[in-house]
Amino acid sequence: MQDTKETLKYILQRLILMVFTFIIIFVICFILIRLLPLDQATGAGQDPETFYKMQVALGRMYKVGVGEYAKTPVMSQLWTFLKNLFNPATYTATDGTIVTTSRWGYSWKISWLASPADLLTKGFPPTILINLYSMILSIPLGLIAGIYMALKKNKWQDHTMSVIVMLFISVPSFVYAFLLQYLFAFELGWLPAIRADFNGSWFSGEMFASMVLPVLAMSFGSIAGFARYTRAELTEVLTSDFMLLARTKGLSRTQATVRHAFRNSLVPIFPMILGQILALLSGSVIIESIFAVNGVGSLFLNSITMKDYDVFQFVGMFYILIGLVGTLIVDVSYGLVDPRIRMGGRK
Amino acid sequence: MSNKNKLLRTSNFSESQDLNNIPKSKFKFAQKGKKLHDKAFETKPMSYLHDSWNRFAKNKASIVAGIIILFIGLFAVIEPLVDPRSYVDPIQYPSGFEDSSFALVRPYSPLFKDSGWWDGKEEKTIGEDDYNLLRFTDSNYERVELVEEVDDTFTIGVTEFHTLKYKVNVDSYAVGCKYVTVSAEDYNALVQYEKDNGIYKTEDSIMKPVVNSAEYIEEVGDELILKGLNISTVDGITDQMTNYYNNHQDVYYKLFPKLIDGQYSDTKFSAVLDSNDEPVPIYKTTDTGELVYETDKSGEFKIRVDYFDYFTYVNGFKPYYVFGANQSGQDIYLRLAEGARFSLLLGIGVSLINFIIGLIWGAVSGYYGGNTDLIMERITDIIGNVPTIIIMTIAQIQFTHSTTLEASLGSSGVLILAILLAFVYNGWIGVASTTRMQFYRFKGQEYVLASRTLGARDGRLIFKHILPNAAGTLITSSVLMVPGVIFAESSLSYLGIIDFSSSGISSIGVLLNEGQAASLSQNPHVLLFPALVISLLMISFNLLGNGLRDAFNTTLKGSE
Repeated sequence: MQDTKETLKYILQRLILMVFTFIIIFVICFILIRLLPLDQATGAGQDPETFYKMQVALGRMYKVGVGEYAKTPVMSQLWTFLKNLFNPATYTATDGTIVTTSRWGYSWKISWLASPADLLTKGFPPTILINLYSMILSIPLGLIAGIYMALKKNKWQDHTMSVIVMLFISVPSFVYAFLLQYLFAFELGWLPAIRADFNGSWFSGEMFASMVLPVLAMSFGSIAGFARYTRAELTEVLTSDFMLLARTKGLSRTQATVRHAFRNSLVPIFPMILGQILALLSGSVIIESIFAVNGVGSLFLNSITMKDYDVFQFVGMFYILIGLVGTLIVDVSYGLVDPRIRMGGRK
Repeated sequence: MSNKNKLLRTSNFSESQDLNNIPKSKFKFAQKGKKLHDKAFETKPMSYLHDSWNRFAKNKASIVAGIIILFIGLFAVIEPLVDPRSYVDPIQYPSGFEDSSFALVRPYSPLFKDSGWWDGKEEKTIGEDDYNLLRFTDSNYERVELVEEVDDTFTIGVTEFHTLKYKVNVDSYAVGCKYVTVSAEDYNALVQYEKDNGIYKTEDSIMKPVVNSAEYIEEVGDELILKGLNISTVDGITDQMTNYYNNHQDVYYKLFPKLIDGQYSDTKFSAVLDSNDEPVPIYKTTDTGELVYETDKSGEFKIRVDYFDYFTYVNGFKPYYVFGANQSGQDIYLRLAEGARFSLLLGIGVSLINFIIGLIWGAVSGYYGGNTDLIMERITDIIGNVPTIIIMTIAQIQFTHSTTLEASLGSSGVLILAILLAFVYNGWIGVASTTRMQFYRFKGQEYVLASRTLGARDGRLIFKHILPNAAGTLITSSVLMVPGVIFAESSLSYLGIIDFSSSGISSIGVLLNEGQAASLSQNPHVLLFPALVISLLMISFNLLGNGLRDAFNTTLKGSE
């Protein structure tokens, strides 16, 4: 009971700390991004009048003269932003209707006046699907490879696989991506080179086929990572004293390994997997760019290359939040899974 | 009795005696009068670094990795120094050596020229017109080599169509003839050069006869009008034909519009062949029937040259590209060396800066602990959670818009500053946390306490007693940081987040970006070599780092 209470207290502490960290990071990023030079909207269908009207409504600019606008100071922009979070500003559109502005600003370049939150939500399905497939592939394969290597420790199987694992960890993921794309899409022509939309269905066979290459490109690295980690953990457990005890009390090697070693070696690996589950939401920018996946990573990249600051800020903060929550989950679950780790810093 | 005798005989005792009662006089002090000292060690003392080095030297993979890194480093430094391409005329080539005539040529190595690969040739299956275009040339080199004729079958509905296609090896370096405009001085020098080498106006000459396409196109126009086409159609066709001759300067023979579905095409032209299946040349001739080799254009000369030989004549080296060329005809080999040099320098530079900052930060935080540590940890937490990509974007946009920075550093300097800032911004955190951990580990140990009791100051404790012990781990972590920085930089410049286009810097990431733009399916060589080099660098640095980690880990001693 005492333990649960302490655990909860610890989690709460970490949570509060995380929120503070996030707020500080947010303020810093907000200021840095708002200091960037702003381009006027010039694209097709983007009239400067609406642009300025909305900038004024969002508290980023004020009217100096007829058709002349100046930037408001950054700190006052921040204040307006915070106010708008609770009570979104309104502006009068050209046809006289009163429109409530989006809390998070607007996409000015990628998709005129779309809300960044909507764009992000649209990016989720492909990103989550690809990450999920990659996870389903890489976790079991990685664990199996790691276990096999640990059981065959210092034999030729272990040595060969260690070399392969080392190669897969070192070689950048975009190099596999190129290799896979060249080999399977261009030379052999078995699979589509890029992910395309097939009638908007996420689960059709064609869609799956087009996702195979990005999934593979993403998986190689994490398979190798899991394998190396599992091998290290399992070899450590296999040489520990309780394994000797298990053998002495009469368990066969298989029994001892399956019942005692596996479960114990999974203790530090489980939090890693938990961390991955959260990372499902954030796409790999480079893989999504190579395979033209229109997911979260591509959105982030587009917002950077097209200088769409509101989307850049929103997606950037999303990535930061994922990172923070991920660390929190991993840290807390370490304590939950392994009773030897005391939480709350009591020494 | 016999037993006792045996015993006596085998023992050294000369006489039988009672061992229980040995007289006192027989005893003496073994080391009486001798000075007893500790013996000097017979083994040689070995320093920590020496020991680590010995263990590192045993690790073959790390040694090989170190040699590979050294090799790539040497290549990156030496290749731009010895390559004649880096010394080309800066007026002619303002952004370094490039020649669009040799855009996307295949890799060529003189060692492999007859081996069937790495010979600058490209296997293609092409139609008859393209084949003829490559086959008929008056340049000094064969542009194409027929492998086999393929019968290409495709069905539309129920009808089968057969077309004859040609599977060929195209020599991508034999770019044929081109028109160039040279000054009178250069023209005379070229003529003199040809005369000296005895190739002036011969088959092997650099300058080729000028083609008189204008006159021929008029003939074609007349012929088409005779065939009953109306004037405007004919005008359209002849205009396109003029364009075609201008774009295909290697064509020295008669072309005629192709008849497609009973209509004369204004985009497709095929060679007019004589009875021997040879093209009919339309060289410009003087009134006396001699071939013309130049057209005078107000003091300058427009000449038609075999471009490969002309290039060699002008630049003094053959336009062979070991790793092929990219889409603007730049040498990938040279650019890769420059790119690797930039990437390595950046990796090492950033790691060094990060190492120093992280060391100081981690040392202070770890040594003092308590509230200092708590506050410093919060700060690293905040800094560390902002991705590099965000800082990179903001820094780059902000810096490139700053006119004062641009004026003092130049456009490439501004970019490098932004890259440095983004990588240093949170790159040092890894080193800082390693240092902090090491300080926590060592600061409570007895020898540190002993030194403190003897009155050592904080500085002495940190630099003399704790840091040397942490050196191995720290060196390892900073060596492993180098590939991380190289990887991050190449990913970001590949994605175009770091925009090198205006700065003239090439990094491996820029080359990867070009490779992607050059289309992986059509021109894989543009991407292949940069990808290979970066993979090699990553693997080597990781192997080297692992080797160092094992070497510095003294607890492994004896267990290996």
